[in-house]
Amino acid sequence: MLARPGLVSFDYVRARTPGEVVQLLAEHGADARLMMGGTDLLVRIRDGAVRPRLVVDLKHLPGMRDILYQQQAGLTVGAAVTMNQLARHPAVVAHYPLLAQAANSVASYPLRNRATIGGNLCNASPCADTAPPSYVLAGRIVVHGSAGEQEVAIADFFRGPGQTVLQPGQFVTAIRFPPSPAAASGRYLKLGRNKAGDLAIVSVAVLGFPDASAPSGYRFRIALGAVAPVVLRVPAAEEWLAHHPPGAETFARAADLAAAAASPIDDVRASADYRRAMVRTLTRRGLNAVADTIAAPTGSA
Amino acid sequence: MPESIVGQSVGRVDARAKVTGAAQFPGDLVLPGMLHGKILFAGRPHARVLGVDAAAALAVPGVVAVLTAADVPVNEYGLQTADQPVLCGPGSSRPGADVVRWEGDHVAVVVAESAEAAARGRDLVRVEYEGLPLLTDPFAALEPGALLLHPHKPASEIHPELNVPGNLLSHHQLRKGDVAAAWAEADVIVEAEYRTPSQEHAYLQPEAGLAYIDEEGRVTVAVAGQWTWEDQRQIAHALDVPPEAVRVIYPAIGGAFGGREDMSLQIVLALAAWKLRRPVKIIWSRQESIVGHCKRHPMWFQCRWGARRDGKLVAAQVRVVADGGAYCYTTNKVLGNTTVTCTGPYEIPNVWVDVDGVYTNNPPFGAFRGFGAPQGIFAAEMQMNKLARALGMDPVEVRLKNLLRDESLTAMGTPLPGGVSLVEVTARCAEAAGWRKTLSGWARPLCPPRPETPHLRRGIGLAVALKNIGFSFGYQENCWAKIELQGEREIERATVYLGAAEVGQGSHTAIQQMAAEALGLRREYVQLVMSDTATSPGSSGSVSASRMTFMAGNAVRGAAESALRLWQAEERPAVAEYVYLAPPTTPFDPETGHGVPNFAYGYVAEAVEVEVDVETGELHLLRVVCANDVGKAVNPRMVEGQIEGGIAQAVGWAVMENLVTEGGRVRSDRLSTYLIPSALDVPGQIDAVIVEHPDPRGPWGVRGMGEMPFIPLAPALVAAVHDATGIWFDELPLTPERIVSGLTGKGTETRRP
Ligand SMILES: Cc1cc2nc3c(=O)[nH]c(=O)nc-3n(C[C@H](O)[C@H](O)[C@H](O)COP(=O)(O)OP(=O)(O)OC[C@H]3O[C@@H](n4cnc5c(N)ncnc54)[C@H](O)[C@@H]3O)c2cc1C
Repeated sequence: MLARPGLVSFDYVRARTPGEVVQLLAEHGADARLMMGGTDLLVRIRDGAVRPRLVVDLKHLPGMRDILYQQQAGLTVGAAVTMNQLARHPAVVAHYPLLAQAANSVASYPLRNRATIGGNLCNASPCADTAPPSYVLAGRIVVHGSAGEQEVAIADFFRGPGQTVLQPGQFVTAIRFPPSPAAASGRYLKLGRNKAGDLAIVSVAVLGFPDASAPSGYRFRIALGAVAPVVLRVPAAEEWLAHHPPGAETFARAADLAAAAASPIDDVRASADYRRAMVRTLTRRGLNAVADTIAAPTGSA
Repeated sequence: MPESIVGQSVGRVDARAKVTGAAQFPGDLVLPGMLHGKILFAGRPHARVLGVDAAAALAVPGVVAVLTAADVPVNEYGLQTADQPVLCGPGSSRPGADVVRWEGDHVAVVVAESAEAAARGRDLVRVEYEGLPLLTDPFAALEPGALLLHPHKPASEIHPELNVPGNLLSHHQLRKGDVAAAWAEADVIVEAEYRTPSQEHAYLQPEAGLAYIDEEGRVTVAVAGQWTWEDQRQIAHALDVPPEAVRVIYPAIGGAFGGREDMSLQIVLALAAWKLRRPVKIIWSRQESIVGHCKRHPMWFQCRWGARRDGKLVAAQVRVVADGGAYCYTTNKVLGNTTVTCTGPYEIPNVWVDVDGVYTNNPPFGAFRGFGAPQGIFAAEMQMNKLARALGMDPVEVRLKNLLRDESLTAMGTPLPGGVSLVEVTARCAEAAGWRKTLSGWARPLCPPRPETPHLRRGIGLAVALKNIGFSFGYQENCWAKIELQGEREIERATVYLGAAEVGQGSHTAIQQMAAEALGLRREYVQLVMSDTATSPGSSGSVSASRMTFMAGNAVRGAAESALRLWQAEERPAVAEYVYLAPPTTPFDPETGHGVPNFAYGYVAEAVEVEVDVETGELHLLRVVCANDVGKAVNPRMVEGQIEGGIAQAVGWAVMENLVTEGGRVRSDRLSTYLIPSALDVPGQIDAVIVEHPDPRGPWGVRGMGEMPFIPLAPALVAAVHDATGIWFDELPLTPERIVSGLTGKGTETRRP
């Protein structure tokens, strides 16, 4: 059925405490929806894909919009931190540039003023831009529920398109990132159909860092977006890179392995063949770019 | 006489209201006691409606009425021919109106006290359908024995090109010289097939309107359209009332681009208000808009052109098949322009052209900026750029040998009227784009390879176009205007009445400038009363075919002269009406196509510089140069705006816009799936070269220009991509995916539509 212009009416509550959220969710069950920036949720309500009676706004919960960085503990990003906030925060830019690049690649400037990292991850789209970097940066999702707080590794958080491990009554308050490996360099590459506002057809996050325990002297982590039901890490390529000297040939082979691992679909936006070919291209470009900026291990010539 | 106002970049008359949000668009209008309507679309492309059961819908609290086919007095409409039912269903006053031929056909309108109730009611209308076989491929629709989509099609008295058998919608042909004999003279022959895609208008404002009975008892429709007088005529026909009983008003219009030339919800709105005697409002969502209005015609071209070694064209043979979709809309006019443009702006001694429009169960295809010329020029300029390569000649040089001049005979056997500036626009464009004139002729700028980024290749390409101004092809173009001068000794106020639609292009501002100039008044004294059939009962014609400034300027000038004469004769107020009649034109001769199809033309050349990422297929448009002969720029800044906007829209058509249909149904029915260019996708630099070669019949020398900048962009871009990569792309849009598969040698062939 065709969408209706304008929003249907619903009740709106601006939650003040986590306890209030837990209580509202317990009372209203599936009739309630959580909202941050609303850039996914309100579109879905307008299109009639979800019909909540109650929308609970979580942006104003204490700490939800804070970014904390400590050298030892790493980075904690409140779930309601916006893309523009993330992209410009000095600690993020200095220590997690990959995350800043991804945040900055979302849609357009005005949209980035509203879109949040928490909403991006909880929406669980395979093309969510902050997801691949969160994989290679070993992010952990902080989940709040009636039983208190727990952490879930990002790789365990997604179940499929639009699906997470969150149980009814649970919600996300923050994302934690451990300190980045020393001398790491990262790159997020995204291909859309236009230069602003489109979702990724393919995206690739690459993180590389010197590691004496790897035969090649380096370790790389690769995560692919939009080419499988959830973000894909590519262990085969990562293994290959740990065992072969960095350089054009090794990177090309790793890119082939990444393309082989992807399981993209044909849809209105691109064909599976093109997506797979672009996984190869973007992975190779990402590896080359990381290699150009990564610090050589101490002692090497 | 103050300093000339025509030619100044004055501010727009509507700028303040639009910037502050004060301007009222149709969706903003509200009346007390207003009802809300929702239209039930068929949602399937081909079926017979056996029955419509409205009981459940009527039971929804707040639902006031459900109108169906039986409620429409004369259940047919259409701008060119009345081949479309207002509401599809049984009990109709016209044969064949019980069949839906496209998913966007209307089956019922539900009217309720709230939009929510109307939507709920609409979802509960039960329709019984009998499925009918689908015809979505125009070639299949042309096969002998194919199911007839319009078996009851009436013969057209005014448009002979529509009187064609089977699922053929229209036919045009040109015959000049002897093509078969001419191939022997050709040293090079280029043969190719091209495929141009559809395009969605994607105007800012989806369809919306408010209908009510006005204080004089007229059923009144406030809506966005392009031709008040014609909307009025069609609404009156369907309601079976005299035109004076209907009033059409255009408040602010959020873009049109041809998509509002044919009607969408006007008749249904009028019908509801007329039956219920209460105001009724309908607003379409973006999805309803994309599904519910016509689009640019997809076309398939088969071209064979020959030239002598010296670059002179000897023959061109072009066969065109265009998908017309479910209903005629402006297909015959669009294809008239394709017929005129598909051999390019060249003098060719031997020409054979066949252009067929075909009925299918796809969305109706109709008017869109350029009206068939972008498609025709794409094929022609692709041929020309390929010929230049085959001959080893510069693309400018080969054009200069063949471009039409004042005295040249077109493929229609007659010269072009109004002064032909093709050589000038081509040279001005080439110069601005970096071409050099050498001893051996024009030489294009080279794009040296840059070893540090081997995957980024640059190229430059050029194309030239012509396009008619006005509807013409035998139709007597006309434009009505009225001017009222008030005051005692001095003129204190001049009021201009005109039906012209301000669709965002700035015509109201241009009309005010021209009226002020004609009256010798400052602009502040000139007040406009526009776009309301109650105050402008005459027809000012459609805002389309780049005609409004040309036509309205002449009409206003005529009205101003008469009004000034009455003013001199001491009449107070001095009121004069004037109907400007453009020079007459002739229909295409049915055998040869010869005649004088148009009274005026605009000319344009464009050069495109592109960077191609050969690994991802992404295109970066670095620079576009557009040299456009506008005759006289009434408002140069608005001309530049049209050039920039036309180029942005053409970039969308050429590169990214991709209407995906499946079984006749549009799948890319949102702006998240149907992408249009963003601010970052338009060319980094657009250099507008405004050429002013006056048309003696245009007001102050004006030629029309609104469509011109769109037209040569696509072939110039494809030539630039060829320059960069060595590959020709014969099918649009140039999505990254198409570029990559072309470069890797996969799937460069042109598909049949
Ligand atoms: C025009 C446009 C362009 C876009 N472009 C991009 C793009 O380029 N890249 C991209 O990745 N995305 C894009 N998006 C999608 C969207 O903007 C992002 O996913 C955004 O980050 C969502 O954040 P939000 O705060 O608006 O989420 P919301 O819409 O508020 O919420 C999203 C979902 O998560 C749930 N949710 C919200 N907060 C919580 C919580 N704390 N705990 C549990 N569940 C929660 C909501 O119930 C909802 O289902 C685009 C959207 C639009 C409209």
